[in-house]
Amino acid sequence: MSVPESYFDYPNRREGVDHDRFAFRSLRDAPPVQWSHGGKLALWVTLHLEHFPLNMPGKPLLPIGGFDRPGVSVWDYTERDYGNRVGIFRLMRLLDRHGITPTVAMNAAVAERCPPLMEAMLERGWEIAASGVDMGHLHHGEIPPEEEARLVAESFATLRRISGQAVTGWHSPAHSQSPRTADLVAAEGGQWIADWINDDMPYRFRTDAGSLVQMPLSYDLSDRKVMQLQAQPAAIWSGQVEAARDLLLSETATYGGRILSLSLSPWVAGRPAKIATLDRLFSSLLSDSEVKPATGGALAADWAAQVPA
Amino acid sequence: MSLLPTKPGFMAGRSVPPEPGYYDYAPYMGRPKITWPEGKRLAFWVAPNIEFYELAPPASEARAVWYRPEPDVLNYAMRDYGNRVGFDRMADVMAAHGVRGSVSLNVAVCDHYPKIIERCCELGWELFSHGIYNTRYMYGMSEDEQRRVIRDARKTILRVSGQRLDGWLSPAISNELETQDLLAEEGLLYTLDLFHDDQPMPVKTRSGKKFTSLPYMMDVNDVPVLNFQSISPQDYLQLIKDHFDQLYAEGEESGTVMCLPLHPYLIGQPHRLWILDQALDYICSHSGVWLATGREIAQWFNDHHYDEMERWIAGLGQEGGE
Repeated sequence: MSVPESYFDYPNRREGVDHDRFAFRSLRDAPPVQWSHGGKLALWVTLHLEHFPLNMPGKPLLPIGGFDRPGVSVWDYTERDYGNRVGIFRLMRLLDRHGITPTVAMNAAVAERCPPLMEAMLERGWEIAASGVDMGHLHHGEIPPEEEARLVAESFATLRRISGQAVTGWHSPAHSQSPRTADLVAAEGGQWIADWINDDMPYRFRTDAGSLVQMPLSYDLSDRKVMQLQAQPAAIWSGQVEAARDLLLSETATYGGRILSLSLSPWVAGRPAKIATLDRLFSSLLSDSEVKPATGGALAADWAAQVPA
Repeated sequence: MSLLPTKPGFMAGRSVPPEPGYYDYAPYMGRPKITWPEGKRLAFWVAPNIEFYELAPPASEARAVWYRPEPDVLNYAMRDYGNRVGFDRMADVMAAHGVRGSVSLNVAVCDHYPKIIERCCELGWELFSHGIYNTRYMYGMSEDEQRRVIRDARKTILRVSGQRLDGWLSPAISNELETQDLLAEEGLLYTLDLFHDDQPMPVKTRSGKKFTSLPYMMDVNDVPVLNFQSISPQDYLQLIKDHFDQLYAEGEESGTVMCLPLHPYLIGQPHRLWILDQALDYICSHSGVWLATGREIAQWFNDHHYDEMERWIAGLGQEGGE
């Protein structure tokens, strides 16, 4: 019994991270920033608008919320589609009432399939960020490079054409990247990504086509992780958000401006029983004058202007 | 603990004995009394796992390393959070309560992130080994290969901290059957690889050297609780308190141990740090708690109770034994 000698090679065992995309930075050493909107804690709401095709492959990885029922998964398909038909409009009313402009990380397929939704979002000045083509076309380590280049280009082109916005943000569906995704995003004119869940603050991410700002989109605190995957009640989820708010606000005294990222999927958060809890949560968050909403693009630009490359 | 299955073929042709043979049966009744320093009832220790998962690890014959095709950005980044953000937060809370950590350390962190290790040392924390990387397993290693890992860990910890390597938790809890024999032969004091008891216990190894099993309590480990069982933060805090209350009560009869194993990538999240703060607040408010490190507990047990416990266990198997 033995393992290959190469199992004892540690090619990256030296100071720093084990790849060349970004540098190590600890919480204590992050350069402090002040948000230009004047609040200490920026509330960044991201809505995920996704299309899960009935024939999605589910391989080589199943996105969170992907179909895992046997046979033709009509229940799963329609339950997710509910988000784009019903749930999103509940969230829209709620966000209108609380004066929150969200970032919408969307599959290009949703923009094509739901013109009235698109129109309502654009009227409100919501920020459109690209999130691939649909949930049946994920970005991962086994995707052929040409296919991925085509998907990234198609996602940006479709969303720019339909929205008329510059569309500079990218969220890889299911937080999944191939080794080339960020390079392709930068080459298509992307300026920020929100895929790596390793920080509470932005940092610079190196690509072949210049650097991107990596934005701290929450996953552990997302509605999909807590209320869908872990099946926790809405009150437990909102309590966790408030705990995060308290901690991050307390850190602003030492570390400067912070970001509270809320990641919401309308097919999870837009259900009837969740809305009253969300309403109370937004009221609670915004009752503090130090908490102010901002979009991902605005925060990325704000941060980049204050932190020299 | 892994959710990932054994790769087909890994165990082919290998025979596994019906039991590991590290200990004899010892009921939690009528045991020799353990007394802690100053008559304390319960030895409390916190074991933060400071880990490094490689983005592009070598393949293992035993198991898949990552959950998704590499690069598994989601799962890598989730764990990377601990070193970038969670560690300092967790250390701040522990320091505020005067609680030292006994670090279950992937020793490559000493090379990658020396500042983290410097802070552990400044805080007077113990460093013990959790292998080199959490993506390099002991599975399938020969004895010499396992020794090589143990010696690398010992050398690395000594170099960065001046500390002796006294404790061990196998990386990703990947063992071979002889691992415990080798740890004893290499002069370590204690292992956390065994989950058979709530008190320190002698471990039988082939060299007969003194070697102690310390409880490393999965019941309150944040990974199984928060990741695998989806227990809410409120319920996790209650679980820690209930676990403590029972062990503290039992500690009146004979000294008990409570270990709180943590991962800064989970407990150091902004929505969870309060759990640690309140848990330490609660535990430290009890006067019968000995705030210890793994090394201190193992050393005390070795010096005062090991021989008596071993004799008692040996006597259980004999005719007319107590």
